[in-house]
Amino acid sequence: MAAKKLQIALYWGAACGGCDVAVLDTNEFILTVGEAADIRLWPIAADGKYQDIEAMADGELDLSLFNGAVRNSENEHIAKLLRRKSKLLVAFGSCAHLGGIPGLANLTSKEDIFATAYLGNASIEPGNRTVPHPKTQVNGHSLEIPAFYRRVYRLSDVVDVDYFVPGCPPEPSQIKNVLLAVVKGELPPKKSVVGASERTLCDDCARRKTEKKVKRFYRPWEIIQDPERCLLEQGIVCMGPATRSGCGVRCPNSNQGCRGCYGPAPGVVDHGAKFLSAISSIIDSKDPKEIDAILGTLPDFIGIAYRFGLPASILQRRHGA
Amino acid sequence: MEDLKIGVYVCNCGTNIAHVIDAESVKNYAATLPGVKIARSYRYMCSNPGQEMIVEDIRSQGLNRVVVAACSPRMHERTFRNACRTAGLNPYLCEMANIREQCSWVHNDSVAATEKAMALTRAAVLRVACQEPLEGLTAEMCPTTLVLGGGIAGLTAALELADGGFPVVIVERADRLGGNLTRVDLTAPHFDSARDLVRERIAHVRGNPNVTVMLRSELRSLSGFVGNFTAEIATNGGKPTKVRVGNVVVATGYKEFDASRVTHFGYGKLPNVITSFDFERMLRAGRIETKDGRLPQYAAIIHCVGSRSEEFHAYCSRVCCMTALKYANEIKSAIPTCYVSDLYIDMHAFGKGCEDFYKRSSEAKTLFLMYGKGDHPVIRRAASTDDCDMLIEVEEKLSGEHIEIPADLVILMVGMEARADAADVAHVVNISQDKSGWFIESHPKLDPVATTTDGVYIAGTCAAPKDIPDTVAQARAAAARILAKIAKGKIEIDGVFAEVNEEQCSGCRMCNELCPYSAIEFDADKKRSHVIPAACKACGACVAACPSAAIKGRHFTDAQIFAQIEGVLL
Ligand SMILES: Cc1cc2nc3c(=O)[nH]c(=O)nc-3n(C[C@H](O)[C@H](O)[C@H](O)COP(=O)(O)OP(=O)(O)OC[C@H]3O[C@@H](n4cnc5c(N)ncnc54)[C@H](O)[C@@H]3O)c2cc1C
Ligand code: SF4
Ligand code: SF4
Ligand code: SF4
Repeated sequence: MAAKKLQIALYWGAACGGCDVAVLDTNEFILTVGEAADIRLWPIAADGKYQDIEAMADGELDLSLFNGAVRNSENEHIAKLLRRKSKLLVAFGSCAHLGGIPGLANLTSKEDIFATAYLGNASIEPGNRTVPHPKTQVNGHSLEIPAFYRRVYRLSDVVDVDYFVPGCPPEPSQIKNVLLAVVKGELPPKKSVVGASERTLCDDCARRKTEKKVKRFYRPWEIIQDPERCLLEQGIVCMGPATRSGCGVRCPNSNQGCRGCYGPAPGVVDHGAKFLSAISSIIDSKDPKEIDAILGTLPDFIGIAYRFGLPASILQRRHGA
Repeated sequence: MEDLKIGVYVCNCGTNIAHVIDAESVKNYAATLPGVKIARSYRYMCSNPGQEMIVEDIRSQGLNRVVVAACSPRMHERTFRNACRTAGLNPYLCEMANIREQCSWVHNDSVAATEKAMALTRAAVLRVACQEPLEGLTAEMCPTTLVLGGGIAGLTAALELADGGFPVVIVERADRLGGNLTRVDLTAPHFDSARDLVRERIAHVRGNPNVTVMLRSELRSLSGFVGNFTAEIATNGGKPTKVRVGNVVVATGYKEFDASRVTHFGYGKLPNVITSFDFERMLRAGRIETKDGRLPQYAAIIHCVGSRSEEFHAYCSRVCCMTALKYANEIKSAIPTCYVSDLYIDMHAFGKGCEDFYKRSSEAKTLFLMYGKGDHPVIRRAASTDDCDMLIEVEEKLSGEHIEIPADLVILMVGMEARADAADVAHVVNISQDKSGWFIESHPKLDPVATTTDGVYIAGTCAAPKDIPDTVAQARAAAARILAKIAKGKIEIDGVFAEVNEEQCSGCRMCNELCPYSAIEFDADKKRSHVIPAACKACGACVAACPSAAIKGRHFTDAQIFAQIEGVLL
């Protein structure tokens, strides 16, 4: 069979751009990809218009990497479009995988977000305080912008996703592995998480672990840490025990607690809830008052435990905001 | 997987369920649920015909799952699991929906209760579909028993086990056996010598080759699980030795209440105010006398010192009333001219032969004075013109009068309390204490000598105040429970326990200290944790805590629990 060039699209939904940069961070490798593949859409780096995609036959793309969460009608529209046109659709990075940082917006409401961004913001001149509307009339012309949704979704909430590549952003070496696996046709069963390990970060972390008992939690600047010893045992919040490995233990190796961007361990339904029960199991007290005081040293728990996965949490499953 | 063929059985429980819930509708509704092959309702599912109905359906219809919508699983789960087993179906493929305790007994609105019963039944049907067949395990039973404490309870339990032919190790902290009874003279109500009772036990223990006695020793730690404990025992504060034991009897007894805590009796200040134990010493020395060696002309006995009071212990110490009568009798026979008064709140004479003893004692010219429960007699020094040492003032309840009585010797009937180190003992053997510090039994009526830790039993006064007969009965009961287990040779372990998937375990050790039953061990070489099935009670604490989802609660998997939740919410 003649080697046909791989047809690829890369797209960003509600994202920071880091995922695209991570793809570029594969350095020369991306050039090799460029030779072996036709990149048909990549808003950050290449030309390509939505109309070109719409004009394709269904399934014409071999692979679409979708990064970013689904925040507005445009994100959803492109997600559906790419789904139709692609043989493989991959949720790429934490936001597409689990909702990511933008997903924390689900703690508040569309109204509050608009009020903060467009009305209350000190840098907006009086008289210009107006919130976006999907349809506006300007000088007799009708303008349309994407509709802002009431909540943030992960990609798999709106379309069927074939594979998930975790990470905020995914590790360049893992991106290579995934792309090579696609080229060689060596992918695991559909719906799998790829470009990551089946174990937890703790398993790969070289720090010394003994029994965990925590009397108070510290923010990293509040304590001089022992670089050899498990961070959690020192009271530094680390999501390593609850997080899928694959990043190369980047944060703990840089003396930072794992922030959980690779998502929960295989088989875990709710990352934050799992971490909460784990954390509460190591608090070294039986006295309710003392327990409260220890928990008081943990700032912004939901922001820690659900930093990358609030839209994936069962907290919001049944009643969408 | 083969196709689901679920049988659903809705019980009326006579009218217990049916008077609120429309069982017919629940049954008809169940028949429409996914995978349900048969749905029936019946008057009493737990009756023989009810169970046979299940057995028959499994056999003839090839059912592979069973749901019984009836009472609490605590009540009849075993019954229906056994029915499944009889028909050749793995018992863990049976699930109950509690439509009695959680439904008909707590709701009046028939329509809403019937809807709830449907939801509970649906939850059970969805759950049972995810259930897996499970097998239990067996483990060896080490025949050696550790007896902690060498009082009458410990001695009796040890002898019973040793006479049965099995090894026993008695660990006694003191430098001799016998416990508190070695401090008692004669016993109520029959005036047998306590010393003789104890001596006889000790002689047998000493002569029995199956019993090892370790004096001046203490139990430092106990690890493992029923049938397979390892005890670390230190003698004379030295390095601990390891002993393998199958079961443990805790018989650490009591200590007496410290009478100086009750200020108005002047104990420790007034030389002739003494406690029952001081008086026992006098009796054993053979001479009842005041501090300066005189024969008392007036003696007074005060009950409930430290017991039955808001301030100290709320409970009754149970032996002091009869011991007080014993004292009255002994004083009268030693010094016939002595006037004895007995100040009590209520006379507790419930033991065998005790009421009779009380009757005989009241005829023996003891002056009985009753005082109120919230009240207390007050003792003060008499004036030099009085013919007695002290005066006791009391609001006598029966006459309603304020009475003053003379006394040369006052005996305080001090109650029993938990030993100061009971909390440490409880921690080492992993049992609980009640608010007074006594060890807690598995069930106060039906299982009084077992505890919530399998293989650890309690006997005698470490569980609550009691007299010798009750102490001995408990010691023999604990021994009988253990003998029955040793006789089986193996222990059967329920199929429901937590399991660590070593592939998924990261060795984070979060679960290690968490298990209330010390069932989790860490393998330092493999860097993996594992659960000892025999020690696991399937509480689920570690399952929830394990951040990498490496621990699975057998029979309580995420899939099963989510299916159940889905069932009630739909
Ligand atoms: C004044 C008085 C008079 C009484 N008279 C009568 C009577 O006439 N008739 C009657 O039926 N009952 C009587 N009793 C009750 C009787 O004393 C108890 O029923 C009996 O002694 C209980 O025995 P035991 O083995 O449970 O406890 P104990 O006698 O207290 O024995 C416990 C033993 O365990 C040892 N021990 C404790 N902790 C540890 C440890 N951590 N490690 C190792 N060893 C330990 C102790 O040293 C002790 O040897 C009387 C009680 C009192 C207070
Ligand atoms: S046995 Fe008698 S003296 Fe002892 S606490 Fe009970 S009521 Fe009081
Ligand atoms: S909590 Fe889970 S991952 Fe951690 S040691 Fe225990 S079983 Fe292993
Ligand atoms: S389920 Fe409970 S009893 Fe069993 S090992 Fe886990 S914590 Fe211990």
